[in-house]
Amino acid sequence: MSTRNDKQDVETTGHSWDGIEEFNNPLPRWWVWIFYATIVWGIWYTIAYPAWPGLKEATAGYLGFSTRERVANEIATVDAANAEMVAALESVDLTTIADNADMNSFATKMGAAVFKSNCSQCHGSGAAGAVGYPNLLDDDWLWGGRIEEIAFTVTHGIRNEQSMSTRGYGGVMPAFADSLSHEDIDSVVNYVLQISGQEADAALATAGETVFLDNCVACHGEDAKGSLATTRSFEDPADLIADGEMLGAPNLTDAIWLYGGSADALTATITNGRGNVMPAWSEEFRGTSGLTQAEINAVAAYVHQLGGGQ
Amino acid sequence: MGILDKHKVLEKNATLLLIGSLAVVTVGGIVEIAPLFYLENTIEDVEGMRPYSPLELAGREIYIREGCYVCHSQMIRPMRDEYERYGHYSLAAESQYDHPFQWGSKRTGPDLARVGGRYSNEWHVDHLVNPQSVVPESVMPKYSFLMNRPLESTYIGDLMSTHALVGVPYTEEMLESAQADFAVQVNPDGDWDGLLERYPNAVVANFDGQPELTEMDALIAYLQMLGTLVDFSTFTPDESR
Amino acid sequence: MSTQQKPDQLYASREPVFPRRVKGKFRNLKWVIMIVTLGIYYLAPWIRWDRGPELPGQAILVDLANRRFFFFWIEIWPHEFYFIAGLLIMAGLGLFLFTSAMGRVWCGYTCPQTVWTDLFILVERWIEGDRNARVRLWNAKWDLRKLRLRLTKWAAWALIGLATGGAWVFYFTDAPTLLVNLVHGTAHPIAYTTVFVLTATTFFFGGIAREQVCIYACPWPRIQAAMMDEDTITIGYRSWRGEPRGKMKKQADDGVQGDCIDCMACVNVCPMGIDIRNGQQMECITCGLCIDACDDVMAKIGKPRGLIDYLALKDEALEREGKPPASVIKHILRPRTILYTALWTLVGMGLVFALFIRPDIDIGVTPVRNPTFVVKSDGTIRNVYDIRLRNKHGEARPFGLALNQDAGFALDVEGTDGTVVMVPADEMAIIRVYVDAAPDSEAAHEERTEFTFWVTDLTGTERAFAETIFNGRTN
Repeated sequence: MSTRNDKQDVETTGHSWDGIEEFNNPLPRWWVWIFYATIVWGIWYTIAYPAWPGLKEATAGYLGFSTRERVANEIATVDAANAEMVAALESVDLTTIADNADMNSFATKMGAAVFKSNCSQCHGSGAAGAVGYPNLLDDDWLWGGRIEEIAFTVTHGIRNEQSMSTRGYGGVMPAFADSLSHEDIDSVVNYVLQISGQEADAALATAGETVFLDNCVACHGEDAKGSLATTRSFEDPADLIADGEMLGAPNLTDAIWLYGGSADALTATITNGRGNVMPAWSEEFRGTSGLTQAEINAVAAYVHQLGGGQ
Repeated sequence: MGILDKHKVLEKNATLLLIGSLAVVTVGGIVEIAPLFYLENTIEDVEGMRPYSPLELAGREIYIREGCYVCHSQMIRPMRDEYERYGHYSLAAESQYDHPFQWGSKRTGPDLARVGGRYSNEWHVDHLVNPQSVVPESVMPKYSFLMNRPLESTYIGDLMSTHALVGVPYTEEMLESAQADFAVQVNPDGDWDGLLERYPNAVVANFDGQPELTEMDALIAYLQMLGTLVDFSTFTPDESR
Repeated sequence: MSTQQKPDQLYASREPVFPRRVKGKFRNLKWVIMIVTLGIYYLAPWIRWDRGPELPGQAILVDLANRRFFFFWIEIWPHEFYFIAGLLIMAGLGLFLFTSAMGRVWCGYTCPQTVWTDLFILVERWIEGDRNARVRLWNAKWDLRKLRLRLTKWAAWALIGLATGGAWVFYFTDAPTLLVNLVHGTAHPIAYTTVFVLTATTFFFGGIAREQVCIYACPWPRIQAAMMDEDTITIGYRSWRGEPRGKMKKQADDGVQGDCIDCMACVNVCPMGIDIRNGQQMECITCGLCIDACDDVMAKIGKPRGLIDYLALKDEALEREGKPPASVIKHILRPRTILYTALWTLVGMGLVFALFIRPDIDIGVTPVRNPTFVVKSDGTIRNVYDIRLRNKHGEARPFGLALNQDAGFALDVEGTDGTVVMVPADEMAIIRVYVDAAPDSEAAHEERTEFTFWVTDLTGTERAFAETIFNGRTN
């Protein structure tokens, strides 16, 4: 086999490095055309899209393209696509959501988005709450865990000024610093520790029971199981909501503590009182920054199916 | 062909080639970069932006020291999927007091541009101490040692002055109260009214739950501030961008 | 570029190639391969395969809308994409193996560019005649005859292109339905666009661009030098036998004249338009047509075949010394090819093994980690899990969920009272389940407790499991 004879009349560039010469072969025609096409494309591109800087601003481009406008349009397109479901969600009977697979899927997904934007700051992105902010995953509900009750709580909030007439200062824990002595507080703390199954001083707890019966039963009930448990005989949720001011006092015998169940935390609670506020979220109370009815229904459906809903 | 045949001169003279290359790159740089410094629609002012509080600034130094930017970006792009995942797209103004910026270029972990307020302080402590305890599939290393490293405010004033030197508008008042602001941000029982007046929306909390001020406090203070300064319910994007 | 040419010419126009017809064993092999490969390509989408009423009845189907790939009895889900990756690795290793053993045998016989170009040239020859007629037609002035021949040829090419593009889209949806829709004009615009684009590219690549695709667009010719070595079987010209070339003389062989009579048969048949006698070159796709052409001529002049032949570079030295070349087996069997074969087989066996152990039922568990656990009012510790259940069957099936026997947890499925979930045919269901540990149980106070989710097909016996952890309350 011979080596290929490449000396076919092709001139070299005249460059020679270590004896290696560089041919000056012409380019294929299609390549040259594509190269020219890219130049034309480049010029077109700077005309069509924002490109040339001026003194104060750049040329806007013939197509008027803007990334901000594009993302706004994309969001608007999705909103338009969801419009029908949102309208249906607005007037849906909340208790039927779970039975309608399409509606349930839409509502919980939309609710999840609403929750992350508006609720997760206090209740956490996983709805597990924190000290002072209720955990929405457990089975303990101060204000009711049925889906209508959750929607009502989201709409009106708790102990806020916007929706005063509905829940006012209901369920606030008063401060007993002035009305109870240190000894009384100490003993009632031990009583609460005892009934909630924690370690307690038996003698103090016995004394504490008297203090409890004199001061606490009005809200927490004689069995200390809170007001929700005692008023739960209402079967019609509407009655329950109407009786809203009776709600909100926690069950002291269970394992769930909003402000902590240790002796120190209980002492602080009894001494200083508690009364955290949840804002009212509906547009009725917040104007345009509030949630629409569809969003409230969606977030209620979302929270209801997190595991704690009743 | 004239001048086009003269390239051999450039190719045979390294110094000349270097100077020539520099000239070409300079032209490109001037055309592409320089306008961004003066065009009105690339330097918009946004309400709510403020310099970092002393503790946040110290936390930011730790963020840079630990190389967080290698795996986490701080740059939400204007696309719907990112908008849904991380929140409103990042604005140039939100990095205006960053020297250097922390946009990053790779997301091994999630974008952090709007991580502020998304999780509780306790979550951040748990996560930094042992990321896998809250995110089992995470590959993030543990940063528990930050809990054991007390942070002194000795050099915070110098650090702020340095930032002021490159254009961060720290006022005299801010520089004077640097030490106090630094300490009070982890003390919810302290007098932090002045801090909030100087640095609106700063989060005051004992971030790591320990009595001493540690690097963990500073880092979480920084993380909890990220992306929370601009109120997007009142922000209207300039359509021209 | 000679000095007479204009020095500022920026491009070289293509020299057209008019391959002459040739007969011989390699040509026959190429015909067979063309019929088999094109037959598979055009007909495969029409093979039916019964998978039950809810699944497509097409044997080979890439169902992009539902993210499924069907291949006879095999169904690939997106999470099993490693099968595709494995096949691609095998294809790569196979290419390495064949190139190191037999040079660019892929290029010469089976590459779609070669096969379609071959088909296009065949059509061209039917319509316009063989090489000489085509050269004349090329140089002829445009008249009615030339126009008629050209239009006929282009129409035939367009039809082949249309069939090619049409066959492609049949792989992506039910072929008979799509064909009816295509004809009625009711198919999806994407189908028409795809058919159009592929018709156009087939026409362009097979009819016009031809060898330029191999020379300019394809990276493989440039990589081949790295893949081939002295033992690689490739096409070569036995210059030691053929040179000095020259017209055959009447008188007896005087020992000066080589076997090559410079008849240009090898050049005329070459679809790449090169002269193999110039030695190894990038353009050569080793299709073997020059061998057939040369053997034919050698037979006619009474010389042994094989002046141009498949041979290895190593043989040159041996043959120059007058020794017989090494055997083909000896060339092909060497550490490199054995290594490629071993790797290829390894990956292949791994894929087959993975294919056989994969169940029709699948479970994936993601613990909900925000929060890691929930305390219920009676002190019960609850963990939440998102579970993905995949039903790879053609009918909806009830799946029963359970935990391992000794776990001691209570299991609850969101949205149902029991632990049975109906999963639709060939779909994945995502469900949320709650796992509760009693307040006094050990797991309720351990940071991590390992346990296992079992899912059972209640209509059969298939089971699958996934291991996960339960997080208890440690403080």
